[in-house]
Amino acid sequence: MLKGADIVLQCLRAEGVDLVFGYPGGAIMPLYDALDGSGVRHILTRHEQGAVFAAEGYARVTGKVGVAMATSGPGATNLVTGIADAKMDSVPLVCITGQVRSAMIGTDAFQETDVFGVTLSLTKWSRLVRSIDEIPDVIAEGFYWARSGRPGPVVIDIPTDMLKAKKEFSGPVKFKPHARPADAKADGGFTDTIIALLQQPSKPVALVGAGAKLSGAIPELRRLLDTLNIPTFATVHGLGAVVPEAPYYLGMVGMHGTRAANMALHETDLLLVFGARLDDRVTGDPSRFAPHAKIVHFEIDPAQLDRVRPCEIPVIGDLAETIPAFESELRRHKLPDFSGWRSVACGADRAQLDPRGLAQPTIRFLDELFSRLPKDSVILADVGQHQMWAAQRFNSGSPRGFITSGGLGAMGFALPAAVGVQLAKPDTCVLCVSGDGGFQMNIQELATVHRLGLPVKMVIIDNKYLGMVRQWQQLFYERNYAETDLSDNPDFVDIAKAYKIPSFRMKEDVMREFPVSQETGDQIDRFLRSPDPELLVFDCAPEANVFPMVPAGAALSEMLLEEEPTQ
Amino acid sequence: MQSFHIRYRNTQGTLMRILNAASRRGLDLPYVQAEQRESDHQVVLVLDVNAKQFGQLHREWYGIADVIHVGAGSVHSDAWTGHHPPSGVTIEQQRAAARA
Repeated sequence: MLKGADIVLQCLRAEGVDLVFGYPGGAIMPLYDALDGSGVRHILTRHEQGAVFAAEGYARVTGKVGVAMATSGPGATNLVTGIADAKMDSVPLVCITGQVRSAMIGTDAFQETDVFGVTLSLTKWSRLVRSIDEIPDVIAEGFYWARSGRPGPVVIDIPTDMLKAKKEFSGPVKFKPHARPADAKADGGFTDTIIALLQQPSKPVALVGAGAKLSGAIPELRRLLDTLNIPTFATVHGLGAVVPEAPYYLGMVGMHGTRAANMALHETDLLLVFGARLDDRVTGDPSRFAPHAKIVHFEIDPAQLDRVRPCEIPVIGDLAETIPAFESELRRHKLPDFSGWRSVACGADRAQLDPRGLAQPTIRFLDELFSRLPKDSVILADVGQHQMWAAQRFNSGSPRGFITSGGLGAMGFALPAAVGVQLAKPDTCVLCVSGDGGFQMNIQELATVHRLGLPVKMVIIDNKYLGMVRQWQQLFYERNYAETDLSDNPDFVDIAKAYKIPSFRMKEDVMREFPVSQETGDQIDRFLRSPDPELLVFDCAPEANVFPMVPAGAALSEMLLEEEPTQ
Repeated sequence: MQSFHIRYRNTQGTLMRILNAASRRGLDLPYVQAEQRESDHQVVLVLDVNAKQFGQLHREWYGIADVIHVGAGSVHSDAWTGHHPPSGVTIEQQRAAARA
């Protein structure tokens, strides 16, 4: 006879789980009681949101399912932001929550929350366990849905009496999904159609999103792009999928994308999309998105098609199958010469930031950091101006080398996610870039970093503002800086020291020399190569802005390259 | 107005996910009828949707784990403007009454 809690843990082990992130509490105590000797290592964060973001970081960098645990009521509701984040960014995540005793459900018992109901619209699949007998099937099915198709979050809510009850256990089970005869899948015919479109005189471009990376078909994608040799760009989650040195690569597209990428997307007449859902940060004004283009959309999730505007040729299926099929077929055809179009789209007059932007000390600082990182480092960016600067300057061909909360834009994501990444990749340099606003949203996870001795390299770009909101206030709200002033921030160097984490401050003036001084370079090298966690606080000009920028509601071609002179 | 016929396995939350796909778009739900159909369940929804929402809903419903089939057809206006049918009245009876 085994307790329900032991069965849960055995089922987790059967799913390949050896690491979970969580925070204990009343209803989930039986599961914590069973952890010892289970083979499942538990990482105690200092807030449930830290746990779920850490699980996300682990999942994003490994491609495995991340697991977070929390108790009922506030423990469960504190997971909600991470669950929403995982839904938006297609992260395989299983959250296990304790629930009040079965007999108390619906009575508004102490720490009772309908987490099943609260998360219904945020999860891919969820269950409230009603019997100890269900546990093996529910866990097997939950993991199946978390990792299948377009990955996403799953919630399994287990009443505390189910965790305490005992039953005979014959072992974990495997879930077999019901087949649906109408399940959409691309047939081979799509390749002929696309190749016929490519044969026509055109200005084709390729847009690469997260789906290309999630499919694992990066080598095939890169071969395909080399064969196509057409202007190519990436969404924020597609960064790293394309070799940055490729002559046809134009960097990031969208609201803060490069001028070259946005102009090419605006002018194209044939857009090949590989695993991107074309959200509003990529498209700008949907009615003026790629206005001359036919769209070919490679996508695993049919629900992502036509959200912004109709696509002419949907290619539904796992990109691990459709990209190789297209690539092998394409090699048997001779494509027209796109060099004229390519030289326009990738021309020197387009393929650079405006000179003022490159001279900005924060951008120089990020360039210095990134250029000195060991190979295959992982960069995490929180949410805000620093996130966009980091995305713009990210220059690695490591497919899982840039991690951020892209769809939901959840401030406070990066630090706990870095915990998960560092645990998954103990020998990898993990660089966590945050703003002074976001860092304070999960600042308590410094304790987790210290407790585990994780050598995470933390950077705060400290402009003493909620910088991105302030930028919008400056540009679109007549400089009415309503509630974005953080000039009374605590001293982050002192805060880190209180957590026993070494820290130091760098003034932005040191980035005004180019190249930077030997002393500054050595300081950055020592920071990146230290075997211990460390915090670097970079003083950023309060009113530094991120450019290029496509204002909300504008077309991609209407990007601002620098701010209008103040009257 | 558009009627949607969605077959699903009646597992926890599946009907709620189907309804939520409509409600999150701010769509009114003037007519909803869920009932057992052979070994599965079916829900009939009548919604005022544009062409874009039609396609989005169709695909989003199909993406729900226990949805088996999504079908659609136009409806006679009387079939949905009436009161929600009392328990035991099927959609076919409601439609027949509307056509009479």
